[in-house]
This record gives sequence, structure tokens and C-alpha cells, in this order.
Amino acid sequence: MILFTRHVKLSVGMLFGLALCAYSAQAPQHIDIKQFSTTVEDVVVPLPNEIFLALNKLGPVNWQEHVRSDKGPNFTERPRIALLLGTVIADGFIAVQAEDAPAVKDIGQRVLTLAKGIGVGNSITPHAKAIIDAADKRKWENVRHELDRTQSSVQQAMKEVHDEKLSQLVSLGGWLRGTEVLTSVVTEHFSAGGAELLHQPDLLSYFQTRLQAMQEFNLPIIHQIQDALVEVKPLIDVGDRHIPAESVKKVNEITTRLGHGIVMKD
Amino acid sequence: MHLLAKILLRYSSPLLALMAVQPAIFATVDDAQAFALQAAEPYVKQGFQVREDYWGGDLGSGEKKAVRQQLFKGNEYWFWLGTEVDRAKVSVHVYDSDGKLAEESDSWQKGHFAAAHVVPKVTGSYFIIVNIEESPEERTHWALVYGFR
Repeated sequence: MILFTRHVKLSVGMLFGLALCAYSAQAPQHIDIKQFSTTVEDVVVPLPNEIFLALNKLGPVNWQEHVRSDKGPNFTERPRIALLLGTVIADGFIAVQAEDAPAVKDIGQRVLTLAKGIGVGNSITPHAKAIIDAADKRKWENVRHELDRTQSSVQQAMKEVHDEKLSQLVSLGGWLRGTEVLTSVVTEHFSAGGAELLHQPDLLSYFQTRLQAMQEFNLPIIHQIQDALVEVKPLIDVGDRHIPAESVKKVNEITTRLGHGIVMKD
Repeated sequence: MHLLAKILLRYSSPLLALMAVQPAIFATVDDAQAFALQAAEPYVKQGFQVREDYWGGDLGSGEKKAVRQQLFKGNEYWFWLGTEVDRAKVSVHVYDSDGKLAEESDSWQKGHFAAAHVVPKVTGSYFIIVNIEESPEERTHWALVYGFR
């Protein structure tokens, strides 16, 4: 009986070990990243709420202070609408953080209007309705999910009609608004951890490269953003060093200025 | 009626043959994405927000691809890789910008699914390395999705 029990224990142990082998991933501890130089995809642009989530973990944030749901002017230039659309989607994530249902509903309507203005209204209508419904029921997780879907659907629709550049402007608009709010929060209550969230030099280089390839969009706001990114780069590309409070404040001034430029008419 | 049966027989055979090989011909990155999302499913219950966007393509057996991604310290990430080729073996691993393995030990690999778990030590760029280790197909679709909390 003892022998049998030992056999059973041994078999169970071996099975457990085999199962572990099947699941464990063998990976080299170090690789030469340069070997992938020709097979590296573009930088994945994070959603604004990825940054907000990290920021929230550093301490309480008064999100209501950053909620913005005013309608603003209407634009006819598609690149301007794309930039604004990205900004408004980011505003949606901020309103969700603040759990501000009326603002979320206004933003849902605004997203739909802008999407129509850029010719992708059809793919957005169900998401805009879902955003408004979920805000009514205060189901914030659903609103977040629908905002993500909205951005993804807009960008997919743009790619389908070969408007990749407009799709990139949507991402850029969202990133600028996210950075504006991030730097505003960190400027108010500075911490090294908060400032570190600004360490995004590859993302900034990605946007610079994309903007350089948008020569057909000869608009003042595009040129202003290009110049501003040149200013921002040395402030956040600091290697292993900390990003100081003055740099955070400077980035906030720059992104706030750009934010006004995106929302207001020239 | 007899004529109709003949016509049906003549034209349905190629159609049936085409339907039989359909998975190989018409499989797309979207199918691979469905498998990646299947791998992600249990983690949603743990509070991970799975992003709507995904990254994908096709690779030959033994080929790798790197996806560069900005990660934020304070967040926790899972990357899920999937392919519709059920006899393929895939893997996904995450490295920091110096090329140092950055994933947690509970990252896993099982046949045509794999996942990597990352709790970033610093905010910055990371490289997600996708690998089709083995596959019976000449080209294998892959899709990568990620979630965070």
C-alpha cells in the first residue's frame, strides 16, 4: 500500500513536471535588438487611458478638473477634424475617469459629428450610441471599451479608404491631449514617478517621422505641432536620468498651447 | 429534373472541392486574432482591459517579428499571441530597450497560443518578439493582442 502511494505520488509529480515543461516559455535572457532592425513594426501608440491608469496609481487625481466637453467650432479641413477627433476621444477617457455622465454623453455626440465630417460616420454610429447608453447606466468599463472601439473603428475605416495619414493624426491628437493632462497633473503634484510616465522618446520620434511625410497637409497647426515636438524631444529623452519638474512644466505649456490650437479656429 | 441534377453535379463538385480547402486558402489574420482573443479571455475576468486593436501578419516557420511598444511603469500588461494553424508552435517574449528579457515567470506557451506577462520596471520602449517556432504551413498567420490593468 505504501509502495502504491509512493508510485502515485511519483506519477503525479512527473505529470505536474511535464505540464510545467509544456507551459514554461524558454526564452534567451538577452537578445541583440539590432538584429530585428528590418522587422520591427511601428511603435504601438498607447491609448490615453493607459497613461491615466498609471497616473491614477501614483495618487488621487481630480479628474473633474480636466473634463472638457464644449462643442467648439466645426472644421472643414479633414486633417484638422482628425486631430480634433483624437483629442475628443481622449476627452472621453478623461470624463470616464471623472465618472461625469453628462460630459461623456456630450462627447459621444461630438465624436459622431466629427466622424461624419471626416466621412466615417457610419462605422461610428453604433459605438456613439453605446457610449451614450453606457454613460446613462454609469457602466464606466463599457464606456472605456466603446471609446477604444470608436478609435479603432475610425482608424480602420480610414485605412480602408487609404487615409492612413488621417488615422495617424487621430492617434497624435489623442497623444497630445493625454500628454497635456498628464503634465498638468504632475506639475500640480510633482513626483519622479509621475514625471517618468513622460519618458516616451520613441513614440515622439514616431510622430515626428509621420508628420514629415504629411507635406500635403500644409496647415499652420501641423507646422506648429512639428516645431513643438522638436522642443519637447530633449525634455523627455533623458536616458536613465530623471525628468525634472521644470521639464514637465515646459511640456505642459507646449501641449496646452497646441491643445488650444487644435480646438480653436486659426 | 434529370438535367437539373446533371448541372448540379457538374458545378457543385468544384465548389465542394473549394470548400474543402477553404481554411488553407481563406484563413486570415482575423482568424488568428480570434485565437489570440481566446487566449486573453480568462484575463478579462481578472480586470485586464483588452485593447481593440491588434497587430498581425504572416511569417514562415522559424521567422520572428518584433513589435515596439511604449509601456508605463505602474501598469501590468499581458500580450497574447495566436494563430489559426493548430499544429503550429508559437512563442511571444518581451525585452526592454537594452535587449534584456523583461517578462514575468508566469509567461506561457502552448501550441498555437502563447502569452507574455510584463510588469514594467521603467516607463519606456519595449520589444515584443513574436516567433513562429514550427508550422506545417509555408506561411502562418499570427495576431498579437494586449491587455493592461
